Amino acid sequence: MTDISYPQFLDLAAGVLLLTAIGVLWRHQLAPMIRLLGLQGVALAAIVAILGIHEHKLELILVAIGLGVLRAGVLPWLTWRALGDSPAETRETRPVVNVSASLLAAAALTFLAYVVTRPLVALAPSPATSVLPVAVAVVLIGFFALVTRRRAVAQVVGFLLLDNGITATAFLAAAGVPLIVELGVSFDLLLVVLVLQVLTTRMRAVFGSSDLDELRGLHD
Amino acid sequence: MTVIGWALAAACVLAGLGVLAAVGAPGRVRPAFVGWATAGIGVAGSVAGLAALRGETFQARLPGLLPLAGVQFDLDPLGGWFVAVSGGVLAAAAVYGVGYASHGHGPDARGVQAALPMFAVTVLLVPAAGSVSTLLVLWELMALTSLLLVLAEHRQRSAVAEAGWWYAALTHVGFVAILLGLVLYATSAGGGSFADLRAAHLSPGLRGGVFVLVLVGFGSKAGLVPLHVWLPRAHAEAPAPVSAMLSAAMVNLGAYGVIRLGFDLLGGGARWWWLLVLGLGAVSALYGILQAAVAADLKRLLAYSTVENMGLVFLGLGAAGIFAASHATTLAALALSAALLHVLNHAGFKALLFTAAGSVLRATGTRDLDALGGLRSRMPVTTALFAIGALGAVALPPGNGFGSEWLLLQSLVHARPTGGMVAAVAMPVAVAVVALTAGLAVATFVKALGVGFFARPRSDAADTADEAPLTMLVPMSLLALCCALLALVPAALGRTLSRAVTAATHAPADVVGGGISLQLAGIASTVSPLLIAVLLGATVAGVAAMVRLMTARVVRRRGAALWDCGAGQPTARMQYTATSFAQPLQRVFDDVLAPETDIDVTPHAASQYLVAQVAYRARVSDRVEHALYDPVLAAARRVGRLGPVLANGSVHRYLGYGFFGVTGLLLVLAVTR
Amino acid sequence: MTHTLSLLVPVAAPLAAAGLYAAAGWRRSTAWMGVVTTALLLADAAGLARTVLREGPIQTAGGLLRADALSAWMLLAIAAVALLVCWASPAYLAAARTEARRARWYGILMHLFIAAMATAVLAGNLGVLWVAIEATTIFTAFLVGHHRTRTALEAAWKYVVICSAAIAIAFLGLVLLYYAARHAGLDSDRALDWISLTGHAHQLDPAVTRIAAGLAVVGFGAKAGLVPLHAWLPDAHSQAPAPVSALMSGVLLSVAFYAVLRVKAIADPTVGPAYLRTVLLILALATLALAAVLLIGQQDYKRMLAYSSMEHMGLIALAAAVGSRVAIAALLLHIAGHGVAKTVAFLSAGQILHHYATTQITGVRALATRLPVLAGLFGLALLALFGFPPAATFASELGIVRASFASGLGWAVAAAIVLVVVAFAALAAHGARMLLGPAADSATVGAGDRSGAVALSGAIPLIVGLAVVTALGISLGPLDGLLHAAAAIVGAP
Repeated sequence: MTDISYPQFLDLAAGVLLLTAIGVLWRHQLAPMIRLLGLQGVALAAIVAILGIHEHKLELILVAIGLGVLRAGVLPWLTWRALGDSPAETRETRPVVNVSASLLAAAALTFLAYVVTRPLVALAPSPATSVLPVAVAVVLIGFFALVTRRRAVAQVVGFLLLDNGITATAFLAAAGVPLIVELGVSFDLLLVVLVLQVLTTRMRAVFGSSDLDELRGLHD
Repeated sequence: MTVIGWALAAACVLAGLGVLAAVGAPGRVRPAFVGWATAGIGVAGSVAGLAALRGETFQARLPGLLPLAGVQFDLDPLGGWFVAVSGGVLAAAAVYGVGYASHGHGPDARGVQAALPMFAVTVLLVPAAGSVSTLLVLWELMALTSLLLVLAEHRQRSAVAEAGWWYAALTHVGFVAILLGLVLYATSAGGGSFADLRAAHLSPGLRGGVFVLVLVGFGSKAGLVPLHVWLPRAHAEAPAPVSAMLSAAMVNLGAYGVIRLGFDLLGGGARWWWLLVLGLGAVSALYGILQAAVAADLKRLLAYSTVENMGLVFLGLGAAGIFAASHATTLAALALSAALLHVLNHAGFKALLFTAAGSVLRATGTRDLDALGGLRSRMPVTTALFAIGALGAVALPPGNGFGSEWLLLQSLVHARPTGGMVAAVAMPVAVAVVALTAGLAVATFVKALGVGFFARPRSDAADTADEAPLTMLVPMSLLALCCALLALVPAALGRTLSRAVTAATHAPADVVGGGISLQLAGIASTVSPLLIAVLLGATVAGVAAMVRLMTARVVRRRGAALWDCGAGQPTARMQYTATSFAQPLQRVFDDVLAPETDIDVTPHAASQYLVAQVAYRARVSDRVEHALYDPVLAAARRVGRLGPVLANGSVHRYLGYGFFGVTGLLLVLAVTR
Repeated sequence: MTHTLSLLVPVAAPLAAAGLYAAAGWRRSTAWMGVVTTALLLADAAGLARTVLREGPIQTAGGLLRADALSAWMLLAIAAVALLVCWASPAYLAAARTEARRARWYGILMHLFIAAMATAVLAGNLGVLWVAIEATTIFTAFLVGHHRTRTALEAAWKYVVICSAAIAIAFLGLVLLYYAARHAGLDSDRALDWISLTGHAHQLDPAVTRIAAGLAVVGFGAKAGLVPLHAWLPDAHSQAPAPVSALMSGVLLSVAFYAVLRVKAIADPTVGPAYLRTVLLILALATLALAAVLLIGQQDYKRMLAYSSMEHMGLIALAAAVGSRVAIAALLLHIAGHGVAKTVAFLSAGQILHHYATTQITGVRALATRLPVLAGLFGLALLALFGFPPAATFASELGIVRASFASGLGWAVAAAIVLVVVAFAALAAHGARMLLGPAADSATVGAGDRSGAVALSGAIPLIVGLAVVTALGISLGPLDGLLHAAAAIVGAP
């Protein structure tokens, strides 16, 4: 890959990362959300692979493959399993914030991300760090999705968006974190999603639905 | 080790033994063991205090205790005065408590008994504290142990828990004020020990702030209005020996704190400080005695009387401070001596009064004056002892309150108009206040003694009362003896008093002297309580003998008419009750007391115009509490209703808090540098 | 070699206990295994304390596991609380008539939880610290949901979601810190190492470190119960079984705050102490205010204890904001004293729940008349939480006040103390309502009201806990040197 097209490929992958995040905000149904999450996993793996190819580091490419398997394969599959069988369950009902407001918020958060990451980009300007604002925007949009989704599975999707954004930030800023930390983080993430999946299934059994508005029993 | 050291160490050892006895001893002997251990602590305290008053000093440092702070003791004659007073009261009340508890009427639970020796030892050690941290830790320990003691009878009455809550809350507020004031002082002085504080030079604003905070804190412990609302509740609901200890030993430490900080450590201070103290003292004295005058509950009456007397003590302190700020050192020493002497006198008669009230409560089961009466024939010794205490409380000769009030009045009357306009107005007003409180006090204690003990019993409980056992009567008699001695020869304390005053003001102060009469240095005034008492006694004896002589010859013939138109034997219902006795006063002071009356008319079910029942309720509640505390509590409850809004159970709201927090932080970081 | 062993035992011993429960289940013979392993943990912590005082910090595994005086103090606190909790667990599970399968999972997860906390305080690398703290969330998720009721499930969901989001934010902060460190010249396996970071603190870029430290403090602070991501705390602590609540309230919050202290030690030389001082002050005062407000109208006594934990963490955050050595020493003492006192409080609340079958404050009346021993223990634990001497909390709160005034933050601590008074009044009112009063006066009698004496074996761990809090409050004894050495590590002189 020549040095001219490397930033373009990077921008393309980052763009897909951001668009999938906004897509999650846009869609109402849970199955498309999980598909978009999978697509985002692929984009994330692509970013890491592009970085690896550019810097000629084999371990980065291997990490990219592992990331791709985890983020685009295992985690969306686990989330899919948490969906359950009934068709009523597959739809996100009455979002807390409606779609147009969500998209406006996403735009505002992207703007905030650009403003916030100015010192980060200024520290070591390079094609990789210039894409950092996109990663931070995905973090903020993921947090927003986490806050405003009503279905349990949608909240899990939001959380995974948040985490994808942070991983993208890690790789774009400093080519990842030490291997042992990366392994620990991935393992923790897997366990968290497993826990959430089990809790969602239990929630469906006990409450009858996985609508988070049912969870109002504990209050002051 | 000096005498003080041995005595304080003995007190600590006895406290440990007392706690062990409380936890380990079986129920029947527990009060006895703990009571005698506490009496021992009291005696040790008196020994230490008297040794300090003779001129010995004591210093000790224990840096290993109290993590991050260390503990330091420093006893001088001023502290010794308070230690001696507390020690005596504690010893008497503890022996009394043995009798009170072991006759099936009183707190013999393990926790309460364990708290008693700890309370005694902390009350003794507070005046011996030599550093900020030591004072604070002992103050809080004293608050904790006294709280447990106040809660002793919570199983019998539901009002006790509420009294305990008010006590805990207000004590904590007071502690916070003292904490902030003293830590501010220590930080500005660069060290926590009293020697560092004494040597520090602070700006006038800072010193004023420290003094106000400390006044709020120590004043709340002494029961100054408006922080007094815990006092009537706690002292009324606590068991009688505990009430005696609280009223006669613990509240004095509020005065100690103000003297130590204001005169000794801060070195005198500005005039406005002491005007504030004077004002608060005057208001407390008046308000306290007014509430006591209309109170129908015997212990509540005595508690409000404590508020009044502490008000008088603070009035004396304020006067002393104003004189000191105007460089009238003789008068300052006189006023301070009056205040210290009043602390001692009050401790004596108040302990006596509370213990007598306790024996009444034990015998009749009620504290309501409207249900007592006729106890003079059934409980003659208690009545006589109560009478001696009441005589002390009314501050007339031959009572022991007279000596200190006379000294106070002398200092106020002889004030020279050099202290500025405000001080010149304040002194005569103070004299008027003292006079008014004395008058009201007479009315109050005549009511208490007359309605409670004389005439006929107003209820069956009073009719079947028995005299208290010897273990209760002996300490009461000892207290009465002390009161009598203080009443007759107060001048004997002159040298001791001046040593305490000198320790506070650092100026020579030999103002009170004389043998059988009180003579004042620098002021041409003398009074001899002993002579007055002898004269009064002779007069009363002479009049009584003459009356006996003149009526001895008259033959009394009684006939009972068939229909006697009310000339027969008077019944119990024909007497004044406590409420009716206080009615004229209540009317006069209507605006201040704001009595509440409720009239409930219940009509018949059949018709609105036929009345089935009329219920009338009248009460005088604490107006300060209504005006000041109720709005605060209502506001707090309103704020508490925000709870369900903030934590409503919605996971979206919870995550939303975090989202706004994080984005807010990032925004602020982006905008600022 | 011995250093490696003493650093591995705190992690390996609880893991071994978890393995034992996985293999053999919860039985009469294995129920007391927990006490053995936590006693071993306590002994090892004491040994570590002596070693680091004599020789300085020790490390193993290339710096992944490291112990200095601060780690030793935290490990002692963890071990003490864990010992009390494991001691009380068999009685708790027996009284709750837990079935064997559920008890087995309880045993496994409890010890994995303890192992994760021990790893967190012994971590020499910030990444390992993060992984361990995230692991605690995972292991406690099913402990919170142990009771399988609706409310327990709801609490577990909220707990996992809020804490995972918070920890993810903290990870973003650590990633940015790694970026700054790499740019400052540290190579990849040193760039998250705490010693290297503090050594090169002056070379880190201030702007990036500001963002990183802010995010890390907010993220880890949420796990410590600070505003704004605090709302999981009352739900999780009220629904979890009492021993688990005790462990969470007692030490998990403190371990999360330990992470904040480590980050602060890196950020303060880089961006200046004023930045994190401001952040921590805002968080502390907001947490105190929230806790005070929510305690006023409280109706559930386990939530009440949870809000009390928030109040104490607010005080701890205030002490961290002050940042001087005296303040950090007071903070560490407060962690120890509050940890043990809160453990006793929660364990006795668990026993109250067994007797009264309700967590409503109005459902518990005249406890001192019905169950005097339990009332005494609960009351004494409450008194220790109020900060009355001779409990250690008095000494630590006094130390925090004095340190704040000495550093010029007197106004902040005065505001904090006023809020603490409000919380005290509310807690005292609720406690008085539960404990005091005549027995015949009680309006409601709980469905499970069995008036019987509390078994002595159930009371002994609580008595020991109260004795520890009292002893710490009277004199530190041999721990004094450890406390001051630990404070010197993260405290400004």
